[in-house]
Amino acid sequence: MTAETWPTAVLRPTGRARALAAGLPGTVIQEGVIDAPFDRVWGFVADLERSVPEFDVDVARIRILDRDGTRLRVRARSSWRMAGVPIGFDVDLEDGWCWMVSRPRLYVVAMAAEPDPDDPGRTRYAHLEGITVRPRALARATRWRTRHHVASDVAGIERALGLRP
Amino acid sequence: MVDEATVRRAQRGDAASLEAVLRDLAPYLGRICGAIALDAGDDALQEAMVAIARNLGSLREPAALRGWARRIAVREAVRAGRGGRAVPVDPATLDPLGLDPRTVVPDGTTAVEVRAVLDALRPEQRAVLVLRHLDGLDETEMAEVLGVARGTVKSRLHRARAAFRERWTA
Repeated sequence: MTAETWPTAVLRPTGRARALAAGLPGTVIQEGVIDAPFDRVWGFVADLERSVPEFDVDVARIRILDRDGTRLRVRARSSWRMAGVPIGFDVDLEDGWCWMVSRPRLYVVAMAAEPDPDDPGRTRYAHLEGITVRPRALARATRWRTRHHVASDVAGIERALGLRP
Repeated sequence: MVDEATVRRAQRGDAASLEAVLRDLAPYLGRICGAIALDAGDDALQEAMVAIARNLGSLREPAALRGWARRIAVREAVRAGRGGRAVPVDPATLDPLGLDPRTVVPDGTTAVEVRAVLDALRPEQRAVLVLRHLDGLDETEMAEVLGVARGTVKSRLHRARAAFRERWTA
């Protein structure tokens, strides 16, 4: 008898994002269903150099500097609104999962997607962002802005997919 | 397996370390939740991972991470397996505690047959089989994970074991 013959539960990408949000009080997560198939949604999101500047109003450009399997090192340049500051990120990019940690480790982004089990023509999507620094009071103080930013990103993804004007 | 330094950094709020801890635990706890909660296994695992991430700071000894996480997962899986009802584990229901799982689910048993065995058991009984077989816990350790006294369990064991075997071999 091997462990493989026993039923096994799976933590889906959106669930992983939800667990991270529970442990990172400075982050905000928005979950929902995107009215497009997974391949189309993730095909867009995972193309970071194209997708992030398109859906994130605070990012002007993003470049992949190095790639080793699922591990990427990227440099983002913020938009003029954020003074064009360059920020490096360590990225783990897998099917349905993108986890970005800034250098230094002050800010994180998680993008998670999987086919909607109730409707394969739709996609469950979770988007998490926020600061990871203490004290918690600072995290609380920035939540409103982070929530607004995450909502803007998700709307930007839907807009890029042609799902909203 | 993640090292203690990574667990400590995760406890201090380091996001990359927390992600590493969750990634490391997920397959292990997935086996526990799947075998105990069956069709509700994914939900149980999700709830367990949220609880672990939220409460990691309360873990006193990083070396005890897996045991601590296992307790949370078993609790969530038993609750999910009962349809969400948070009922304390009744030691009287832990029939197969002393049973060698290999006599119940011997080598070469297919996934369908394993599922048939698990379907015939209550969630807390499945927990016993899982902890014994997948983790190799002894009775004392299992009683601790399940929150029941070992002596209480053992006193009910002999009678229960015979009944369980009869049901499976019938």
